[in-house]
Amino acid sequence: MIGIVLVSHSEALANAAMELALQMVHGAQPPFRIAAGAAGGFGTDATAIASAIDDLATTEGVLVITDLGSAILSSSLALEIRSSTYQALISDGPFVEATTAAVVGAAAGSSLADIAAEASNALSAKKAQTVTGSGASVVEDTDPENPAASAEERLINPMGLHTRPAALLVQTAGEFSADIELTNTTAGRGPVSASSVIGLLSLAASKNDQLRIDANGPDASRAVNAVKQLVLQGFGELS
Amino acid sequence: MSEALTIDALQQWLHRFAFDITTQADWLTELDSAIGDADHGTNMVRGTAAVVAKLDGGTTGTVQELLKAVGITLVSTVGGASGSLYGTFFLEMARNSPSDVQLNGSELENALHAGVNGVIARGHATVGDKTMIDALEPAITALSQSLADGRQLQGSIAAAAAAATIGRDSTKPLVARKGRASYLGERSAGHIDPGAASAAILVAALAASIGERTA
Repeated sequence: MIGIVLVSHSEALANAAMELALQMVHGAQPPFRIAAGAAGGFGTDATAIASAIDDLATTEGVLVITDLGSAILSSSLALEIRSSTYQALISDGPFVEATTAAVVGAAAGSSLADIAAEASNALSAKKAQTVTGSGASVVEDTDPENPAASAEERLINPMGLHTRPAALLVQTAGEFSADIELTNTTAGRGPVSASSVIGLLSLAASKNDQLRIDANGPDASRAVNAVKQLVLQGFGELS
Repeated sequence: MSEALTIDALQQWLHRFAFDITTQADWLTELDSAIGDADHGTNMVRGTAAVVAKLDGGTTGTVQELLKAVGITLVSTVGGASGSLYGTFFLEMARNSPSDVQLNGSELENALHAGVNGVIARGHATVGDKTMIDALEPAITALSQSLADGRQLQGSIAAAAAAATIGRDSTKPLVARKGRASYLGERSAGHIDPGAASAAILVAALAASIGERTA
């Protein structure tokens, strides 16, 4: 599991962002450190960031997530002055969204590169939800040819495909070797990979939207069925 | 070049820098209150005082070790972008200094160049962005030009300090394009950039400490 370092001008901000993100994780939590504040006030401290990264030495790489301007600057210096040598990347994703994507991705066992890409795309999901109709363009189309299995279901949980169900979907998708893709056929968004929280959120799928599930791979039909069950059960959100 | 800067001379520069920062702290903070979070003076006083404490604690060894210790101390005590940028300046100087107890003129020029380039690379700022680069870049250009013209190190550093001051003042009408001041947009114009002001103090302190030694 990769490690996560949150770099913020404010410790309270970082703690809250991490607490929020950890709501999405139901199993083992990813290892994380918070490097926030400088000299007892707001700010960022490259030496504190460097020791936070070094602290996570046993993990499969570290994603550093930053808030405002100097957080990036201090983090890039931290990468130079740290004593550990395993891979560490600075995410360019927005703070809260990237933290959520990283926590969910890390808990699902994704690689550092995949999680970094996921966190980086986090702004797209937000744009898809705030600019009407532009959502379809933010996710690149993949080849939907000859899915080994597919199904279509209607979303029945009141909140639609929001972050918690998306995280659950990613977790479920991670249990299969098949590539699973979802499309919001009602709104014409997608397809997106079911292994990406941010991708799933960019579907902006609300209650009663039709979701198409496509899977490609050896266990495709079992995978489609598992996802279908989640949708049918309203992701456990039906009262 | 026969002139050389010894460890002692470098320490004198840093003492002078700390002293000048302290006497001009209120002004730096005033500049920062116009376009930032009003803490640049306080932060730099804290950082340079920590450097002095470190030096007084008895760091000997090579120029490289001295500059590295200064860089790390500034990073962990100044805080924020200034800490990382001043830290980078000294760490890059250290990395590009000989493992020796003194710097000759061309070695100093080389190390200062590396320090300024490090700050540019770290902050992605260029001249005109209303940052410390507006003072540092003209200073290093003037230093190189003066040395290339065959002037002595002392006179060349003085030329660098003069260029830094002009560069500092050039930030007044500029609209900030980097750092937190950039969020202010047009409202950042009309004020000298506090980072450029402290950077000019750094170069002036070098000129003053060299002047004192040879005087």
